[in-house]
Amino acid sequence: MSEKYLVQPDLKFIDEITGFGAETLKKCFQCATCSVACPIAPENSPFPRKEMIAASWGLKDKLIGNGDIWLCHECGDCSDLCPRGARPGDVLSAVRYAAINEYAQPKILANAVKDPQKLPFLIAIPAIWFAILAYITMAGGETMTKLFHNFGLEWSHGGHDVIAHANFVSTWLVDITFVPLAAFVVIIFALSLKNFISDIHANAVAEGKTDKTTIDPKGFLLAIKDVLPVIFKHDKFNECEANQDRATAHMMVLYAFIGLFVVTNIFFVVLYIFHIPGPYSQLNPVKWLANISGAALVIGSALMIKNRLSKKDQVSSYKDWYILGLVFALGATGLLTEMTRLAGSEYLTYFMYYLHLIAIFNLFAFLPFSKMAHLVYRVTAMAYASYGNRK
Amino acid sequence: MSKKYGVYICTGCGIGDVLDMEALVDVPDEEGINCTTHPFLCSKEGVAQIQKDVNDGKVNAMVIGACSRRVNFDLFKFDGCIVERVNLREGVVWPHSREKYPALTEEQKDDEEHFDRIQMKAEDYIKMGMIRVEKVKLPEPYKTETFSRKILVLGGGITGISAALDAAKAGFEVTIVEKQSKLGGYAAQMRSQMPVAEPFEQLITPVIEEKIAELQEYPNITVKTSTEVARIAGQPGEFTVTFKKPGEKIPFDVPFPLPPEMLLDEKGNELDAEAQHAKYLEYNKGRLDILKLDPDGELYGAVILAAGWRPDKLKGDTYAHLGIDLPDVITNDEFEKIAAKGKIVRPSDGKEAKEVVFIQSPGKDEDDADFPYCGSVTSQVALKQAKYVRNDYEDGKAYIIYQHMRTPGLQENFYKSIQQDNGIFMTKGAVTEVSNNGDSLMVGAKNTLLGQDLNIKADLVVLANGMVPVTVDDPVVNLAYRQGPGFRDNDIFGGYADSNYICFPYETQRTGVYAAGAIRRSMTIEESIEDATGAALKAIQCIESANRGVAVHPRSGDMTFPEFFFQRCTQCKRCTVECPFGALDDDEKGTPKANPTRCRRCGTCMGACPERIISFADYTIDSIGSQIKAISVPSEDDYDEPPFRILALVCENDAYPALDMVGMNRIDYSPDVRVIPVRCLGSVNSIWIKDALAQGMDGVILIGCKHGDNYQCHFVKGSELAEVRVNKMGDALKSLALEEERVRFAEIAIDEYDKLPSLLSDFVEEIEALGPNPFKGF
Repeated sequence: MSEKYLVQPDLKFIDEITGFGAETLKKCFQCATCSVACPIAPENSPFPRKEMIAASWGLKDKLIGNGDIWLCHECGDCSDLCPRGARPGDVLSAVRYAAINEYAQPKILANAVKDPQKLPFLIAIPAIWFAILAYITMAGGETMTKLFHNFGLEWSHGGHDVIAHANFVSTWLVDITFVPLAAFVVIIFALSLKNFISDIHANAVAEGKTDKTTIDPKGFLLAIKDVLPVIFKHDKFNECEANQDRATAHMMVLYAFIGLFVVTNIFFVVLYIFHIPGPYSQLNPVKWLANISGAALVIGSALMIKNRLSKKDQVSSYKDWYILGLVFALGATGLLTEMTRLAGSEYLTYFMYYLHLIAIFNLFAFLPFSKMAHLVYRVTAMAYASYGNRK
Repeated sequence: MSKKYGVYICTGCGIGDVLDMEALVDVPDEEGINCTTHPFLCSKEGVAQIQKDVNDGKVNAMVIGACSRRVNFDLFKFDGCIVERVNLREGVVWPHSREKYPALTEEQKDDEEHFDRIQMKAEDYIKMGMIRVEKVKLPEPYKTETFSRKILVLGGGITGISAALDAAKAGFEVTIVEKQSKLGGYAAQMRSQMPVAEPFEQLITPVIEEKIAELQEYPNITVKTSTEVARIAGQPGEFTVTFKKPGEKIPFDVPFPLPPEMLLDEKGNELDAEAQHAKYLEYNKGRLDILKLDPDGELYGAVILAAGWRPDKLKGDTYAHLGIDLPDVITNDEFEKIAAKGKIVRPSDGKEAKEVVFIQSPGKDEDDADFPYCGSVTSQVALKQAKYVRNDYEDGKAYIIYQHMRTPGLQENFYKSIQQDNGIFMTKGAVTEVSNNGDSLMVGAKNTLLGQDLNIKADLVVLANGMVPVTVDDPVVNLAYRQGPGFRDNDIFGGYADSNYICFPYETQRTGVYAAGAIRRSMTIEESIEDATGAALKAIQCIESANRGVAVHPRSGDMTFPEFFFQRCTQCKRCTVECPFGALDDDEKGTPKANPTRCRRCGTCMGACPERIISFADYTIDSIGSQIKAISVPSEDDYDEPPFRILALVCENDAYPALDMVGMNRIDYSPDVRVIPVRCLGSVNSIWIKDALAQGMDGVILIGCKHGDNYQCHFVKGSELAEVRVNKMGDALKSLALEEERVRFAEIAIDEYDKLPSLLSDFVEEIEALGPNPFKGF
């Protein structure tokens, strides 16, 4: 600690996080009520007091690579008790979003996702893309069939006697879109995490928050294994007493995504390995999981939206509404697609499917740039805290 | 006045239950003085009964044996009468209960073994009251020969102008004297100032110009610029003021007293009065003696001292680590001057100073003290100046490193609004170093809120320099007083013009001179404006008291003043020297000349006088001495084991109310103590102590206010002088074969009433251990 820290405030950074919902950050007068109030702050250099001064000084370097910001589950106890109305909880939330933005590449996408004015473009890209794919599927069916036969593959996954969405946008084309997209997301996250982990480690060393000097990959992976149950059980989230209701909603959404992830993978195997195309029977247990997950997604995200709307003391900015709206839209269009299909309304269900595809695309393609990326950063930071013996 | 005596004793509030009223009434009866008892003397009927006796001409000098004189003083007030309140309630029946001191049975009353200590105390108090009304007289007001109602304001800055406006609005004629060629003072040299009104958030244009303009509306205000005061002679109500051009030397320049070493001859013996005076004239050649009045001087009634401050000069090792010699390390005052000229630039090369560090405390980590003469002003100034940086440069950054961020009152709003600026960064911390760093400066700090030692790059460093009251350098008021032209022993106030900061704001050590603004403590413009009102009201109070011949403060309304029996004066000068307020001047022979309107009626002169020739109409050596003599001192002739008698001379300002509180809380202490309230321990003449011991009393305790740093003495020096005098009595006591432990000096604050019972009882126990006074019974 003898090393002196050269202060280099970044005024633009202050503006940036202010825009992400931290407009109260300058009110802090460093009384540390927040750090005392926080139910999950560690004893050794507890947050969020130190993050508050770093934020109000615009010390981006002390915040972006600070693992502590991810340990906060935004219960809002600190914001409730803050005597100056500086709302540390919201400030940390804004800082986290700034960190997501910082680590995500390419920047052009990151900038687009954080900017509400770019939303029409973010929607337009998949909308145009899937319109093209739908056109190919519906107008070029015969050509494609011939083309696929050359490789010994069956083009159509749809039956002629049932309403099948594969008849609207070919499953092939959908997967040709999403499989590379998933790979793209994984690569971006991998690159980001590499920097992220080295930064949070450097920060922890500099601030004396860890007893480790280097990162041992095996130990780190073991730490991930240790924190996963904590995450699945929402243990930390539940320690935030002010937010029990939010924990439930958040848990529903988390499990819904896990359920849908499982369902998608099973049906992927069923389709491409066992060559059984959908739609699948409602009696199929996998389908049950799909329906339950879909419902959980809609209910969970609706609850979260309701919470944010009713909570006057919590700041909600575009970053929050974008992701909540997207998740809700995803679930709702999914369920509606299914319902309209069962109801036999062919064009309506195609339209719903079209919307659903746009939502999926948004969620997938922009995952590393949206607030949703917390799922990766928070898990990593929690694992690091466990690994680094943050106390 | 021919006195008609009467004694009234109230039997309410438990007095009648505890005391043997018949025996008590016998005390005045034996003297042939009519004594009336009443069950509820402070009731309408009770007061009316006394008033009737007064109206019927039956009584005009009365003893009222009831509650403490600190209560119901407004009821027991009878015009043209001498009233002595005997404290039977708080002083006798409340602290001492019959459970502890049972009443005597009929058989016990006449034996030589038993005595009733409560009754004895009550009877002594009645006797003491009776003798006092016999000894004192009704005061007559002192009137000055001439009288002026004009107010002189020294200093034409924001405080002086505000005070002048306030006094003028109240209908007084005012003269403002300003040394500089134009009005405004420091307030006119600023770019912006802190807010003075709701919502207290934004910087505002300095209000001084408006105030200067407002002066035009008042024809009763005269402004004298490029003028200073050569001397202010005389006393409140008739100050004779000589003005001059700054720097001019004139005969009416105020003379200085001789420094102490010049008062001695070669052998180290003190020179006699006339030799001293000759030396003094030599020392002040070209300047006339203080008693010489300027025939062309202007008369004023009171003075408001608003001469303000100057920036401190930071130098020496204490500040070496702050790089005070570097060209771009400047003070807040220098920064303000740069800001007033235009954009913030560096003094070294004129380049834009976009990153500025404001250092609020010298730091280093040794202690968290701010710069000398700082106060909350410098905190607020740093906030203001940080905003300048931001106003001048969009990418400007201002850092404030403080140990204390003080924004009292609604200036908290100002702090909050400054805090909102994205480019202003504040942290508590100790600055360790300011050094050159290539083209810029580097500021090092530790113990910061960022949890790390910091280095901050800066174009400019600003130190929160303090505001030194000009009274540190110069007497300013130039009073033609024997004790000297300025305020004496002003070091205990850090050089500020003050006399008792907490209890008596605006009052200086010189009556009739009222300080306001930064000469009193470092202040913002907002505070100075308010302060000016206070001082103006004080000056008005002074004029409106002096004109009626009554004291201004703290004994407001007191009509008495020191009177001298000059035939016996030995010109020892003790009264002149010891008066805490410089009220006495002496002539070339050393004979004191009283200036009654300067006087605060503490009686320090009376306590000092070895010839005991100084007295007040209702407070004399004889009146207190007779009270002491009225205390019965039982000896072995009276009882087998006679009770001890202890005299307590108690300061009426804090100790006496504290003793009343002891009574109110029914806490017992030795009932053998006899309390006499005194105006100030400074007024205690050692003859009283000697008399008490000579008549067989076993011990004497003086209880007064704390002195020294943070003193609480209402008269600045009284309790300190009393302690010195008590210590000097040791030898005198020894010559009488008395132990010096029999006389004790004690200090008490008004909130320490709980310490008083043990203080008194412990003293009594110590005296009992010494045994009875051998003079008892003589």
